[in-house]
Amino acid sequence: MTAERKRLLFLALAGLGLTVLMQAVFDDYLRTMACFVGIFIILAVSLNFTNGFAGLFSLGHPAFMAIGGYVAALLTFNPEMKPLFLPDLPEWLMALHLPFLPALLAGGAAAALTALPVGAAVLRLRGHYLAVATMGFLIIVQVLITNMEPYTRGPLGLNGLDTLTDLWWVYGSVLVTVYACWKIKFSSYGRMLQSVRENELAAACLGVNLFHARLAALVIGAFFAGVAGGLWGHLVTALTPVSFSLVLAFSIVVMVVVGGTGSITGSIIGAVIFSCITEFFRPLEENYSVYGVGEILMALILILILVYRPQGIFGSREPDWLTPKTNRC
Amino acid sequence: MKRLLVLLTLAAMVLGVSAAASAAEPIKIGALYGLTGGMSSIDTPSLNGAKLKAKLINKSGGLLGGRQVEILGVDTKTDQKASAMGAKKVLSEGIVAGIGYSDPAFVLPAAPLFQKQGIPFVTSGATLPTLPKMIGDCMFMTPFGDDDQSYAIADYTVKKLGAKKVAVWTDNSMDFTKTLSRFYKERIKKLGGTIVLEDFFMMGDKDFSAQIARLKSSGAEAVFVSSIPNEAGLTVKQIREAGLKLPIVSGDGFDTELITTVPGPALANDVFFATHTYREDTRPEVLDFIKEYKAEYGHDPENAFAALGFDAVGLIADAITRAGSAEPAAIKKALRTTKDFKAVTGTITYSRASGVPVKGVSVISVKGGKYKVEEVWYPEAK
Amino acid sequence: MDGAYLAQQILNGLILGSMYALVAVGFSMIYGIINLINFAHGDIVMIGAFSTLALLVVLGLPLWVVAPGVVGVGALCGLVIERAAFRPMRGAPQVTGFIASLGVSIMIQNLGILTVTAQPRNFTFPDYMLAAVSVFGFEIQMVNVCIMLAAPLLVVGLLFVVHRTRLGTAMRATAENLDVARLMGVNINRTIAATFALGSALAGAAGLMWGGKFGQIDPLMGFLPGLKAFVAAVIGGVGSIPGAILGGYVLGLAEVLFVGLLPPVYSSYRDAFVFGLLILILLVLPNGILGKSTEERA
Repeated sequence: MTAERKRLLFLALAGLGLTVLMQAVFDDYLRTMACFVGIFIILAVSLNFTNGFAGLFSLGHPAFMAIGGYVAALLTFNPEMKPLFLPDLPEWLMALHLPFLPALLAGGAAAALTALPVGAAVLRLRGHYLAVATMGFLIIVQVLITNMEPYTRGPLGLNGLDTLTDLWWVYGSVLVTVYACWKIKFSSYGRMLQSVRENELAAACLGVNLFHARLAALVIGAFFAGVAGGLWGHLVTALTPVSFSLVLAFSIVVMVVVGGTGSITGSIIGAVIFSCITEFFRPLEENYSVYGVGEILMALILILILVYRPQGIFGSREPDWLTPKTNRC
Repeated sequence: MKRLLVLLTLAAMVLGVSAAASAAEPIKIGALYGLTGGMSSIDTPSLNGAKLKAKLINKSGGLLGGRQVEILGVDTKTDQKASAMGAKKVLSEGIVAGIGYSDPAFVLPAAPLFQKQGIPFVTSGATLPTLPKMIGDCMFMTPFGDDDQSYAIADYTVKKLGAKKVAVWTDNSMDFTKTLSRFYKERIKKLGGTIVLEDFFMMGDKDFSAQIARLKSSGAEAVFVSSIPNEAGLTVKQIREAGLKLPIVSGDGFDTELITTVPGPALANDVFFATHTYREDTRPEVLDFIKEYKAEYGHDPENAFAALGFDAVGLIADAITRAGSAEPAAIKKALRTTKDFKAVTGTITYSRASGVPVKGVSVISVKGGKYKVEEVWYPEAK
Repeated sequence: MDGAYLAQQILNGLILGSMYALVAVGFSMIYGIINLINFAHGDIVMIGAFSTLALLVVLGLPLWVVAPGVVGVGALCGLVIERAAFRPMRGAPQVTGFIASLGVSIMIQNLGILTVTAQPRNFTFPDYMLAAVSVFGFEIQMVNVCIMLAAPLLVVGLLFVVHRTRLGTAMRATAENLDVARLMGVNINRTIAATFALGSALAGAAGLMWGGKFGQIDPLMGFLPGLKAFVAAVIGGVGSIPGAILGGYVLGLAEVLFVGLLPPVYSSYRDAFVFGLLILILLVLPNGILGKSTEERA
C-alpha cells in the first residue's frame, strides 16, 4: 500500500474514532450538530463534484435534496399513520414500507433520475445562464412540491418522521461519498471530467463527449444530494418545501468556493466552518439581543476570504501528503 | 484536527453555560422564534411580549416564593433545521417549559423534541387545530384554532353581512391560509351559502389585478381573502382601488396596521376579520398590557402576536403557581387543567378533547381606517 | 375574456415591466463592464424605497426634491459597495464576485432588520399621485402613468450617456476589452465606479416607484425584484442594455398574463411558469434574445 493510501486509511479510522467519541461524550444537541456538519459535508462534496470537477455552476442542489428527502420519507413512513397524514396517496405507495438504507438509496436514485431530463435540458448552457436555469429548476421543484398535496401535503410538509439518522449513518454516508468522489477524481474518468472544466475545446478535440461528461457530473452529484436529503429529513423529522430554498443553495456554494472549487478536502473544511459558525455566534446574539449579527459576521468573513484568497483555501488541489504521487501537478 | 478543536471548544462552551445555569435558582423557559428571515415581523413582537411578561413577574416578586423567570430567547431564522437545533439547544440547558412560533411549519420540527423529554411546549401563535393531536400531550396552544376563527368569520359573513354568494381567495403557499379557507368554505356551505369563485395567489405576490378582474365578473357579495399580514394591506388597497365595494373578510392574518395604513383611511372600508381578542378591547388586562409594552419598548404593540407571546408565558406562570412546583411534569398537568385563565387575548380553558383552547374570537370591522370590535364569537362545544 | 380585460392586463404587465426593466438595465450594465453578477442590486432597490420613506415622510420634503435625492442615494450606495467589496476582487474568477455580492446582500438585509426592524411599513405618496386619470378610456393611477413614462425616460437618458458622452465611450471600451482600454488611457477605476453609480441610481429610482405603486416596504423586499432583474437581464441577453429593457418588459408581461389568462387554479404555479419560460427561451436562444453569441476560439 502506498504511503498516501496508508494516510487516507488512517484518516478514515481517525474519523471513526471521532464518531465513537462524539457518540459517547456529546449530548443530544451536540450530536445533532455533528450530524448536520456531516450532512453538509456530503452536500458540499457532491456539489463540488458537479461544480468543481466539471465546472458547472449549478444552483439546483437543494431541489435534488428535496426529491431525495421526500421519496425516502414516503418510503419509511409508518403505514398505519399514512392514511391519517396522506389520505390521497395511491394504493401501492400506501402499503410500501422500507427500512432506512433502501429508502435512502431510493431517494438518491430518484434524484439522479430527475437529473437526467433536467441535465438534458439545461446543460447546453454556459456559465451564469446555467446558473439561472438551475435556479429556475429549483423554484419549479419548490412550487411543484407545494402544490402536489396528495403526495407531499403541500406547504405543511411531512412531519413525524422517525429519527433514523444518527452519527453512524451520517459517518457512513460521509465515508462513502468522500471515497467515491476521491476515487473518481484520481481516475482517468475524473481527469476527463476535469479536462472539460479546464478547456472545453481542447477536451472536445481529444474526443471527450462534453455532453455525456457534464450529464454524468450532474447525475452523480444529484444522487449524493438526494441521499443527503433523506438523512436531513430524518434528522429534522419534518420536511417542508421552504427548507429547500435558494438560500440553502448559496450556503452550499459558499462552502465549496471558500474551501476551493475542485478540492474535496476544501469542501469538507468549508462545510465544517460554515455549519459551525452560526452556532458559534449564537451566545453572542442572545446575550445582547442583537439577532442577525451572526449572518452579518459570516458574510463579512466570506468577503474577506474572497478578497485575500479568492481561489479558496485549497484551490482545486488536495493536500500533497494525501495525493498519489502520479497526480501531483 | 481543526474540526476537533472547533467541536471541543463548542462542547466546553455549552458545558460551561449549563454549569453556570444550574448553580442559580431561576425558572428557565425556552423561547424559540424566527427573529430573522420571513417570520421576523411576527415573531419578534412575540418574543418581546414574552420577555415583558417575565419582567413583570420578576418585578412583582417572581414565582414560587421569589424564583426569577428567565427567558432563553433563540433565533431560529425562519428555518426548520435551525428550529430543530434551537429546540435541542434549549432542552440541553435545563428549561422547564418552552414557548414559540407563530406558524406550524416551525412547531413541527421543534415540539416533538419537547414531547420526547416530557417538557411542555406552548405555542404562542400557531393556530393549526390538529397540532396537539399530532405532537402529543405536551403540546399546548395559546391561540384558538383555525377552525374556530374561520367559523366565526363565516357566521358573520352570512348572518350579519347577509352575503350568500362568496368568493374565496387563498394564499396557496402557506398551510395556515389553506386551512383557513378550507374551514371557511365548509362553514359557508353549511349555512346555505355558495362559493361563486375560488382564486389563488402566493405569498410575496404584489399584483392582484388578474384576480380582481375575475372577482368583478363573479357576482360575489363578499370576498374572503385568506392571507398573512404581508399581503393583507396590498389586497385591500388594490380591491378598493379597482372600485369594488363588496365586504372583504379574513382571519387573523389581517390583524395588522397594514390594512389601514397601506390603503389609507379613505379606502380602508368594509373590511372584517376574525382575530385574537385584543385589538380595541377595553378589558383591564389589555389596557395594562398596552401600557407596559409602550413603557418598555417605546411604541405600541405591533400586532396581536405580541399579546400572544405575553400570554404564553402567562399560561406557564399560572400553571406553575397552581401546581406549586416548577417540575415539567407538574407544569404539564397544571396546564391541562387551565380554566378561565384571563389572558390578554381572551379567556383560556383547555376542555376539549382536541386540546385546542376554548377561546373567544373577536370580529373586528374597519371603516374609514378605524377599528371597531363588532362582536365576540364563542365556539359551541364547551 | 373581453378586449378590455386583456388590455388592462397588458397595461399592468407594462407597468410591472417598466420597473423590472429599470432594475435589469442597471444590473446588465454592471455585468457588461466587469463580468460581475451583482446579487446586491435588488437590495439597492430596497434602500431606494426606504430612503424615499425617510425623505418623503420623515423629513416631509416634496416629491420633486425627493426623487433626485433618492436617485443620488442609490448612486452613492453603488459607489460604496463597488469600492469596498468589488474593487479588491477585480480579476478574480467570476464565481468569486457572485458569492461576494451575495455576502453584501445578506449584510444589507440584516443591517436593515437590525436598524428598522422587519416590520413592513406603509408608504403613501401624496394624493395627486394616487388620483386616477383617464387615458385612452382607461382609468390609470397617476403613479402608474409616471412609472410608465419615467422608466423609459431614465433609460433614454442612460443610453444618451452611454453613446454620446466621453464617459459612455470609456464605459463601452472597458466593457469590450478592459486591458486595451487601460492602455488607451481610460481611467478604469473611475469608469467602473461611474458604471456602478449609474446602475445603482436606476435601482434607487425603481425603489421609489416600487414603494409608491404597492404602498408597502420591508427590509427583505429587495430579494425578489433583484432575482427577477437577474432573470430579465438573462432573458434579454446579459450585458446588453437594450436586451435588459426587452427582458424586463417580457418578464413583466409574462408574469401578469400567466395569472391573468390561465384559470385561477394555476395562479399559484406562476413562479414555476415564469422560470419555465426562462428555461425555454434559453434553450432556443442560449445567449438570451439580444445577446451576442460567444463563439469559442482556439
